[in-house]
Amino acid sequence: MIVIEVLAGGVRGGTAILYAALGETLAERAGIINLGTEGSMLAGALTAYAITAETGSPWAGVVTGALAGALLAAVHVFMVVARGANQLATGLVVLFLGGGLTAMFGAAYVGRSITPFRPYAIPLLSDIPGLGPVLFDHDPLVYLSYLLAPALWWLLFRSRWGLIVRGAGEHPAALSAYGHSPKLVRYLAVIGGGLLTGIGGAHLSTAYANAWFENMTTGRGFIAVALVIFAAWHPLRAVGGAYLFGAALALSPALQARGYGFNQFVLDALPYLVTIAALIVLGRRRINAAPEDLSRVFDLTPSR
Amino acid sequence: MLAKLRNLATVTAVAAAVTLLAACATNSSTATPAAAASGAPGTGGTKIGFIFVGPKDDYGYNQAAYEGSQAVAKAFPAMEVLTAENVPEDDNAARVMEGMIRKGAKIIFATSYGHKDPALKVAAAHPDVVVLQQGNIVDGAVPPNFGTYFGTVYEPVYLAGIVAGKTTKSNKLGYVYAFPISQTLDNINAFQLGAASVNPAAKTYVVNTSSWCDPAKQAEAAKSLLSQGVDVISQHQDCTATVIRATEAAGAYTVGYHADASSLAPKGWLTGSQWNWGPLYTKMTQKIMDGGFTGSPYNANFRVGLKTGDNPFVQSAYGPSVSEDAKKLATDAMARISKDGSPFLGPVTDQAGAVKIPAGTVPDYKTIESIDYFVTGVVGKIPSS
Amino acid sequence: MTDTQVTVPDVRPQIVDNRQKQVLGWVVAVAGAPVIFGAFVAVKGVNPFTVYADMLTSLADPVQGQAVLVRAAVLLLAGLAVAVPARAGLLNVGGEGQIVIGAVSAAGVGLIADQRLPGGLVLVLMVLAAMAGGAAWAGLAAGLRLTVKVNEAISTLLLNFVAIDIMLGLIYDPWKDASGFGQPSSRPLADTARLPLFTTGGTLNAGIVLALLALVGVWAALRYTTWGFRLRVVGGNPEAARRAGMRVGPLLLSAMLVGGALAGLAGLVHFAGTEFKLRPGMTTNFGYIGFLASWLAMHRPLRVGLAAVLLAAIAMGGDSLQIDAGLPAASLNVLMAVVLLVVLGSRLAPRRKS
Repeated sequence: MIVIEVLAGGVRGGTAILYAALGETLAERAGIINLGTEGSMLAGALTAYAITAETGSPWAGVVTGALAGALLAAVHVFMVVARGANQLATGLVVLFLGGGLTAMFGAAYVGRSITPFRPYAIPLLSDIPGLGPVLFDHDPLVYLSYLLAPALWWLLFRSRWGLIVRGAGEHPAALSAYGHSPKLVRYLAVIGGGLLTGIGGAHLSTAYANAWFENMTTGRGFIAVALVIFAAWHPLRAVGGAYLFGAALALSPALQARGYGFNQFVLDALPYLVTIAALIVLGRRRINAAPEDLSRVFDLTPSR
Repeated sequence: MLAKLRNLATVTAVAAAVTLLAACATNSSTATPAAAASGAPGTGGTKIGFIFVGPKDDYGYNQAAYEGSQAVAKAFPAMEVLTAENVPEDDNAARVMEGMIRKGAKIIFATSYGHKDPALKVAAAHPDVVVLQQGNIVDGAVPPNFGTYFGTVYEPVYLAGIVAGKTTKSNKLGYVYAFPISQTLDNINAFQLGAASVNPAAKTYVVNTSSWCDPAKQAEAAKSLLSQGVDVISQHQDCTATVIRATEAAGAYTVGYHADASSLAPKGWLTGSQWNWGPLYTKMTQKIMDGGFTGSPYNANFRVGLKTGDNPFVQSAYGPSVSEDAKKLATDAMARISKDGSPFLGPVTDQAGAVKIPAGTVPDYKTIESIDYFVTGVVGKIPSS
Repeated sequence: MTDTQVTVPDVRPQIVDNRQKQVLGWVVAVAGAPVIFGAFVAVKGVNPFTVYADMLTSLADPVQGQAVLVRAAVLLLAGLAVAVPARAGLLNVGGEGQIVIGAVSAAGVGLIADQRLPGGLVLVLMVLAAMAGGAAWAGLAAGLRLTVKVNEAISTLLLNFVAIDIMLGLIYDPWKDASGFGQPSSRPLADTARLPLFTTGGTLNAGIVLALLALVGVWAALRYTTWGFRLRVVGGNPEAARRAGMRVGPLLLSAMLVGGALAGLAGLVHFAGTEFKLRPGMTTNFGYIGFLASWLAMHRPLRVGLAAVLLAAIAMGGDSLQIDAGLPAASLNVLMAVVLLVVLGSRLAPRRKS
């Protein structure tokens, strides 16, 4: 029983991380890392909550939340592509910007009530023992993520579009030789990534916690950044990783509710530890999996 | 080049030695007074300062304190009330309080438990300013311009426990909390003691989130409790909406905390505990402005409860599902505590069954506020030894 | 990449030492950022001119001035912790974790020794422990890079969160203050073992001296020593450095260790100068803000000092945002972000591959 509860909790709690990780995968595949993921999530969470409160429709909330996430990502990609600023530094700035703006403008919505997304058990499928409650008794945004991850995989690895996106991340020179603009591709990929990240934030506020609160993401954006690396920039592997990290968050309350004491800091550190472990074990192979032009981001600074 | 470097090193070392010598004052939290007091502490100001640890609109602890500050503003229209939210429980707090004093505040309310150390520091540096700290407790002598104050929070929680114990069908109650601080342990224990007093089979299952407000962790905590068959959930969190909504959605009962949130749980709301700081803040402010603070009951670890009256923490209104029977039991208990009792009237035993408070003993506030164990009937471990 | 026809902006910040343009960038930032932030403030219904006037007045106060320097000391060390590895072409995003480990190491020594040994000696031991702890934490990342080629930007970032969890694990249980009414924090450090203050009743502690010493030391070391020269060569072109017979691995390791030690020292200054106990959230993004300070300063030590003071002043000005204007505390993050965006964006704009 506890296994099913923790796994279901992993899917539920991992979904916000999954959306953010898919968005970040898209951006990084195009060669741009965005440490401001947390900021985009917060923007998505607040906007979705506020619009849901105003319109009564969580779907309207998700759409606008996605746009808000994209807007912050747009600031990031503009700074990086048009102004040549350092990606890591700009990402952190966007993080502070998102956190600050949502705190500044979110105060009015802290106590507001909304009509949130409701869990919807899929007939038949949800009756499958074990699998049913884990996978098929969730809110619509969880189901949407089931479709999104394969779709992104197909887009990146099976479509012409994906070739261009990955080209921007691997060999921008070659890409421009074929008449495509790596700049444009990067804009689209990062902003698209921000859209997905915004949905992740929206899931937190309008489907999972059903509340808005200042800094409510509490580090989930960074977990998403770690997850992208853990999953070696692969959308489908990100799914497993997101649920694993989600399950780590769900394990502690599940054990406590059964009367077991638990040191939750080991679990809290888990996403980062397994990512480091994966980097060590897979070492060179993992580095090779990184988009080549992205790797260059890290080899920085000949500062004279 | 090297010679140049050596010179540089010498110069730097000398400079460092000189500066370190200059920096000879002790970095102590009990600094000597900066100025001698003139007149009674706390009088003659034009402003009153309030600092909060969280946002002032959290529908919880900080909002309650903020509303209290606004009541003070209303009661003393000649005074300007300064507020600062999200003030961390560290030296930043001292700085913010200093800033308020600079602007003319002679009375400061530091409203979070962890604001005590900086509050003491500021009080020591400004003998003409009265600093009041909400919720913590001073060991030993209390400075003449300092005081802590709080309500006996656990009393209304005990009453709510009675209602919960009478209402539950599964005999499983749930409690979501943040940190195992004494105040929280008191609440959980009082909740369980109240429930057990009317329903010996009732047990309280506890889950901690290690955060005063992490809505996603709260959602998961509520889910876990509900899946264990818990049918009444209470909490000690700064933001409360997530747990209440999850409980209501699952058709279980809610016992509120901090504020009346019955609108979030129209069906399952039982009762709760809520703050009403305005009257106490106003009384204390009046006393200070009259020049009578030093030596007054407020110049101490001031605690109010059902017995003294003026408890700033009161029981919330009942919801539709509370039986008349439960209401009567709660009313009786309230009368009992008001007379001479305490939710912690012995015997109180811990989880292992050891007697912690002997039969017939009414522990004092200090004892209650130092409790570091769960009582019999609480299921779960304190996340530390 | 040697292909020069590409118009893709190079993500490596080639530092073009064009003072005029830099000065212009700073001017634009100084003028532009307040306008943007003022617009946000105005949307919240607060008069931006009053806000700025109040902020400046509050900073003019000597008490607030001290607070700026106290914070700047930590940020300066956190910035140098990024600047030194950056010279060797390494990205240290792990200042936050190294600061935490530094504070934890200092606290560990302090908790054992502060009742038994004279205060000055305890302080020296804590300094050493903090620097060793920070260096070790950064060394982990350097080791991973040198042995299994794990990128140090990623590993230092991930290690931040691990460090924080280590600290939380300690203060929730083994190091919890027994007389702290259950609050998760360590016992306060004895008065004698704290960093001395300049003035009785003030807040400015000797941490600023340590920070300035570190600044001068780093500046001189990078400028005048062979080590500093070699770091720059490695940072400029590791392949060329290797061909020139330099041992690149140990050089990279040393840069990272020095960076970590500086961050550890920042942890000590914050712990023994201001906090005196470990508690959740005690570092409040110092590492990340230090990272940004270093970027603002293009990793030049002396300019890191200026950037640290600027960012500290913005943070302290944030107090007045709350008290005077009633804006949420986090609003100051918006102001800081806008300033950084404008500086980072305007400075590098004219840069093109030649």
